Amino acid sequence: MKKVEVFKPVLVSNKERARENRKFFDGMDSLVINIISSPGAGKTSIISKLVEHFKNKHTILIIEGDIKGDIDSSRLSKLKVDIVQINTLTECHLDAFMVAQVLPKIEKKYDLILVENVGNLVCPAEFEIGEDFKSAILSTPEGDDKPLKYPLLFHLAKVVVINKCDLLPYVNFDLKKAREAIKGENPKAHVFEVSAKTDEGLGELYRFLERKLDAKKKAKR
Amino acid sequence: MHEYSVTKSLVDLCNQEADKNNLNKIHKITLKIGRFTGFSPDSIKFYFDYLKPNTKCVDAKIIFKEVPIRIKCHDCKQESVLDEPLFLCPHCGKTDISVISGREFYVESIEGE
Repeated sequence: MKKVEVFKPVLVSNKERARENRKFFDGMDSLVINIISSPGAGKTSIISKLVEHFKNKHTILIIEGDIKGDIDSSRLSKLKVDIVQINTLTECHLDAFMVAQVLPKIEKKYDLILVENVGNLVCPAEFEIGEDFKSAILSTPEGDDKPLKYPLLFHLAKVVVINKCDLLPYVNFDLKKAREAIKGENPKAHVFEVSAKTDEGLGELYRFLERKLDAKKKAKR
Repeated sequence: MHEYSVTKSLVDLCNQEADKNNLNKIHKITLKIGRFTGFSPDSIKFYFDYLKPNTKCVDAKIIFKEVPIRIKCHDCKQESVLDEPLFLCPHCGKTDISVISGREFYVESIEGE
């Protein structure tokens, strides 16, 4: 019997691929946001709002991850921006290799690349894809305890968007508790309270992202 | 769920290491797994049994070595082990902390012949 010391991360290949993807995106000065939430929290609605707001000033690409089909892509195609669809089939998340496969389809420079991950609070958190940062979306009907139940995502997300705040009077969601729970996982998270339906709170999110877009451009110079 | 692809990576990595080190068969894989990862040992075991036939891992068993969540507080400078991933310093209650361990997920060693 022989013992071999290995000391290698199991996901080393995903991490390496994510690094390559990041190099590709950095080479194009693209700000890449990995958007993660449970199904129905409003990823597609928030993305629509971001596209409407930013599309006159910035070039935008959407990378759309779904297990099956292109319902979200069809919804977003009305916005007249470029969309690349990835179907993960059996997988519950996007990984760096799936994103790498669509890189050859990216033929021009985009200022902003919005990646809509598969609707799931667990697995997508674990796989880097080459993003600048992760953004978690939490919607009020889901309950204020989600950051406590899915700590990894909220620990890693630089931005947390609390969506469907227009429903606050009707649902059992305590904003203060939610903010405390998010702070417990990630004291540095930027938290935004918004409604993609009424536009409430979106201005602040736009201003934050505008600063990130500027910073990305300046980092190159 | 996502343990399928993760376990596939595990089997591939162990086979590569066995090839490199002239092992024909792996008997034991020691896997370090941090408590702050989203991977479940039970699911990994389940997929491992499914994936190991026709590989050098066919007779291997996995030993899981759990790594606790350890943080360091930048305020009071103390290190602590957390039972749950709630990132407050248990000594002073401040949130300016770094995670020192708990995110590990790597193969420590393989044994075989």
